[in-house]
Amino acid sequence: MTEISLQKSTVADDRKVRLKQAVDTVNQILLGKEQQVKLAFSCLLARGHLLIEDLPGVGKTTLAHALATVIGAHYQRIQFTSDLLPADILGVSIYRRDQEKFEFHPGPIFAELVLADEVNRATPKSQSALLEAMAEGQVTIEGDTHILPKPFIVIATQNPLDLVGTFPLPDSQLDRFLLSITLGFPAPEVERELLTAIDRAIVLKDTSALISPVDVLELNKDCQEIHISEALLDYVQALLAETRNNRWFQTGLSPRAGIALLQCCKAYAFLNDRDFVVPDDIKAIFPALARHRITVPHGMEIAVEEQISGLLNQVAIP
Amino acid sequence: MKTLSTRDLKRNAILWVIIALSVTTIPHFIDMPAILIPITLVPIAWRLLAEFRNWKPMPLIFRVFATVVAVSVLVVTYGGLMGRRAAVSLLVMMLALKLLETFSIRDARIVASLCLFLCATQFLFSQRFAMVFYIVACLLSTLIALMYLHRQEAYLPIHEAPDTGRSMFTELGFGLRLLLLAFPIGLTMFLLFPRWSSPLWGVPEAALDARSGLSNSMTPGSIQNLFMDDSPAFRATFQGSVPNNVFMYWRGPVFWDFDGQTWQSSYLSRNLPAETKPSLADAQFRYEIQMEPTEQHWIFALDYPAMVPKGTRLTMDYQLVSRRSITQLRIYPMASDPAFQDSPELKNTLLRAALETPVGYNPRTAQMMSEWRAETSSDAEIIRRALAYFNQEEFHYTLNPPLLSRHTVDEFLFETRRGFCEHYASAFTIMMRMAGIPARVVTGYQGGWYSGIGSYVLVRQSDAHAWSEVWIKGTGWTRIDPTAAVAPDRVEQGAMNSLAERRHLLDFEWLMSARNTLDLLQRGWNNWVIAFGADAQSRLFTIFGWGIFDSARLIIAMMSIIMVAGTAIFLLLPFFFRFRAAREQDAVLKLWQKFIRKLEKAGFTAKPSMGPIELGTLAGAQLEFAANRIEQITELYIRCRYSKNTDGREKLTELVRDFKPQTAA
Repeated sequence: MTEISLQKSTVADDRKVRLKQAVDTVNQILLGKEQQVKLAFSCLLARGHLLIEDLPGVGKTTLAHALATVIGAHYQRIQFTSDLLPADILGVSIYRRDQEKFEFHPGPIFAELVLADEVNRATPKSQSALLEAMAEGQVTIEGDTHILPKPFIVIATQNPLDLVGTFPLPDSQLDRFLLSITLGFPAPEVERELLTAIDRAIVLKDTSALISPVDVLELNKDCQEIHISEALLDYVQALLAETRNNRWFQTGLSPRAGIALLQCCKAYAFLNDRDFVVPDDIKAIFPALARHRITVPHGMEIAVEEQISGLLNQVAIP
Repeated sequence: MKTLSTRDLKRNAILWVIIALSVTTIPHFIDMPAILIPITLVPIAWRLLAEFRNWKPMPLIFRVFATVVAVSVLVVTYGGLMGRRAAVSLLVMMLALKLLETFSIRDARIVASLCLFLCATQFLFSQRFAMVFYIVACLLSTLIALMYLHRQEAYLPIHEAPDTGRSMFTELGFGLRLLLLAFPIGLTMFLLFPRWSSPLWGVPEAALDARSGLSNSMTPGSIQNLFMDDSPAFRATFQGSVPNNVFMYWRGPVFWDFDGQTWQSSYLSRNLPAETKPSLADAQFRYEIQMEPTEQHWIFALDYPAMVPKGTRLTMDYQLVSRRSITQLRIYPMASDPAFQDSPELKNTLLRAALETPVGYNPRTAQMMSEWRAETSSDAEIIRRALAYFNQEEFHYTLNPPLLSRHTVDEFLFETRRGFCEHYASAFTIMMRMAGIPARVVTGYQGGWYSGIGSYVLVRQSDAHAWSEVWIKGTGWTRIDPTAAVAPDRVEQGAMNSLAERRHLLDFEWLMSARNTLDLLQRGWNNWVIAFGADAQSRLFTIFGWGIFDSARLIIAMMSIIMVAGTAIFLLLPFFFRFRAAREQDAVLKLWQKFIRKLEKAGFTAKPSMGPIELGTLAGAQLEFAANRIEQITELYIRCRYSKNTDGREKLTELVRDFKPQTAA
């Protein structure tokens, strides 16, 4: 009995060590973005889909690739364009004359990790094909339901909405993404390093997988053990209630967003070597969780990020 | 050194506090000694400059010095700190000086709140309707100031309120909404708060809004001064018919004794009560008088008063004299019988008094009267001749009569021939006495302005008038108005219309009629607000069936209510704060709060929205010498509070107790 549990814990420890290595590796590829990398891993551990939103050229795709590589998942990359069709994502049934029947050819969506690059450049029809798969974990084509592999994680990147030639994702579909992160320009010294060091693409090629998709599932189970206290729930509720005060946002966060917040916070605390969640975790996760789910009231000339930090500064920690 | 922090006042907040204080202070300047005005203005100006030049607060020593100097000047000026005016001036000055150190929200709020108090003190000096505008101005500016202050304070944790296009008007609107909510409570207090029929402590040093009015003596020029004053003397609301202007003689002080210069009331007239009184049944006019305070004892009625209001007496020459001087608005019902016969028989003492003339004065008049007397024995003929004399000779009714010296009547009758009603009344009365006809001078008001909207007669100080009464055997005292012989317009249309010249620079007819119309507001204010004293309150209570509440019982009732309510609140308070209390019972949280207080003493500013790790990191960075301890405590705290494993409280207690950042510094 003791031996088994001991064994169990060594396995768990090993997983955790490899997770740390994975995080460090990604940090070596994407320089100076420790916080964003931590958020991205929290999202993965919570088995949520990640949205990376920023200007072209700041490392969105690099981050997505690095994550995919260290997880060692079977991954597919879909470059979204305006002429992309749903069938290009989901797959098609083709008539086989020799067998006199239709045979399904699965599309790129049938992978453990899907990189949806520049997701807002495709038409809404194609976007919805991806987003439905994200919500259901399965796709239905011509009456047949095809189960997607487990874990199934989508990392999507998108350009800011005001760039030409984009179709903004509808609010209901944005909700499928657990976290939405931005990278921002690198700090000057980091930028100098980027300019002088070797190409990131080459670094990526040399990178090998450190954890497996199965590990992700197991790590997710480990995260469920993280304790959440009553005092913390008080704080989460206070935050959720404050988002529904219409001086901040048009509509507040839903209970589903609240559950997602706790899931993410558990993963974040796990990454920080803690077996319980503290308010600081919530404050770290909250902006990434909220920024794509809520909008600033009409007529208020203020960025949603500013509103969120204003709100966090307003709610006292009980 | 003072560093700028979020607790510092925003510019718009302090500016509105200064505006509120200035608005509130302005009327106080009117009655303050001139030397105190600069002492009040300098701090206000300093604070204004400090705002725009970013000056630091004045050093304490200088503030103390300024206060000592200011208070000394005040004490020297008033000769002490006793009395309303001195006390209020002290308040004005200290509030202005408070601005020297008003650099935080708390101080500014104190100043703004005291502005409201200062505004209320103005009621100790005046309760006129114009005060309503003053209150509104104070209230609005103070409300805006308070709104800015409270908003700034409410958003302190996030430095700045989110800007949603708020302006002075939205702040004001919000303030007014709150005020509207408070209105029912205010109204209830106004109606129910115990009122006393007399002040608890002595008589006020001076009456509110008292106008000199008619005085207890008459010298040439005394009524003429009143004539410049357009403030209301009283208002009469008639039931039924309103008498013609020609008959509206409002009786006031009656004078018997003349010393050559001045008319005075006689000892007898002051002390003898009226023997007969007009009966109420015969009274032709019934009305109610709302009289402005005068600080004198006379109350006014049309000839002849058939009622004696409470607290007054009727003298033998039918003056109504109040026992107490009229120091506040007085409302009394009155009835008059103009047909009443005043003293058909006259006692010898009074007869002598009514015939007396000062010896050695006015020889020419005496000579003329004895000539007239020689020509006729009829009193009526002499009276007619005297009036005709005024009417036919070159007499002028004017505001600017030449000065008279020793023989006032002689000079007036034969030389200057220019005068105002008191000249005519005085001269006529002396003429009658010299001809052997008993006569006396009556002062009061004549006419009035009938307000069609309010259906009442407004009598102003400028309606003051003087006339004569002669005693004719069998008929009794008869009113003779010599002014009417010179200027009949005076009696028919009022004094203003009978003068060719303007009284002063702003004496326009349209202005006068506007003021007459606006008097309706003053009357309503008097009726509904000022007149609501102890009597009105007890009448109100009678309506509700609480007639048993006299002022003593009312105080007891109020005290009981306050005690019961206070006890109830005290007992229920724990329930209101139940949730908060439950949270505070959390011992770990208490320790954490204690820790934060210690950090704050050491100079660290904690915000309620800081997470424990964030707080620990920031505090550690600021208080480097204690960084290890801070980290230790923070680690233990989050473990105790947020993890499954909560033991370690003892250790935390110990750590927090021994944590002494301020001594290490």
